[in-house]
Amino acid sequence: MRAHEGTARRYAKALFELARGSGAAEAVGQELGQVAAVYAADARAHETLTRPWIKPEDRRGVAAAIAQRMGGRKLVQDFLGLVAERGRADHLPEIIAAYQGLVDADLGRARAQVRTAVALTDGEKQQLSAKLERALGKRIILEERVDATLLGGFIAQVGSLILDGSLDGQLARMRQRLARG
Amino acid sequence: MIRVLAIAALLLGVGPSGALASEGGGGLINVDKSLFIQIINFALLLFILVKLLYKPLLAKMDERTQAIRKSLDEAQAARADAQREREENAAKLQAAYAEAQAIRATALKEAAEEQRRLVEGARAEAGRLVESARNEMAQDVRRARQELRQEVSDLAITVAERLIRKSLRDEDHRRIVQDAIGRVDKVS
Repeated sequence: MRAHEGTARRYAKALFELARGSGAAEAVGQELGQVAAVYAADARAHETLTRPWIKPEDRRGVAAAIAQRMGGRKLVQDFLGLVAERGRADHLPEIIAAYQGLVDADLGRARAQVRTAVALTDGEKQQLSAKLERALGKRIILEERVDATLLGGFIAQVGSLILDGSLDGQLARMRQRLARG
Repeated sequence: MIRVLAIAALLLGVGPSGALASEGGGGLINVDKSLFIQIINFALLLFILVKLLYKPLLAKMDERTQAIRKSLDEAQAARADAQREREENAAKLQAAYAEAQAIRATALKEAAEEQRRLVEGARAEAGRLVESARNEMAQDVRRARQELRQEVSDLAITVAERLIRKSLRDEDHRRIVQDAIGRVDKVS
């Protein structure tokens, strides 16, 4: 997995340099995300792009064609074609995450992954974003995911920082205190 | 030899008294030719007797005497040897007895030392075992307490989770979220 991340970071960095040069770093990220979602959803496309016995040029053609059909710009088409040709299509989720990280860092913002027991209201999202922005000194993009296994509250992760505001966390801490006596 | 001749002469009545008897005539022995013949016979007989009987008898007697003396000497020597051996044996026995006593005393001392060492070792081992058992027991108690605490806390939290999950309403969720958002300030 670490090897995946290293490789993904190198690809993401190369793409980011090219996209920033053309002033479309964020748009490229969005297009990349849309195409990757199609790859993930379409099992046949995923198989074609990840099977090593399919010719590299065929994989490149398929990847570029899908990107073109999704309205991706030339840079996105070429990049996805290259990734598929090199047999790195299975690295795409990590590449996209690394690319988003580079774009966010470049724009001085951070992404907050929020796992919550019930969907947050718009007001709560705004409040949470504002608090996080004030705490971290960065613009925050909130990515919410409802997790029914949580009892209540939410767990927000920004980079390596984890804010546990869930009942589960409180109960876990209480369990530790009880166990310690 | 002289003594023998004297005895023979006495028996034959030779001598002054014999001479007197012959002078008186009609005695046991008549001094005539036959007397000389008898004397010669007697001397011959005496010679033969001395040669054939007396000397061998004396030699035999001497031999017996020597043998008896030798036996006596040997017996004396044997007795002396036996006495010496007896004394040597007694000395040896005494030495052996002393040595045995010394060995016994040493053995008793060593046995006592060994016994003391074994007893001390056994005491030390027993102490170690008791200490080890005590530690083990303490560890078991600690572990049991910890396990009990863990089980109690798990049970309590599980029950609490079920109760909370059942009783949480939307306004509770909202309040929990608001509390959590309020705590974000503390992070900075």
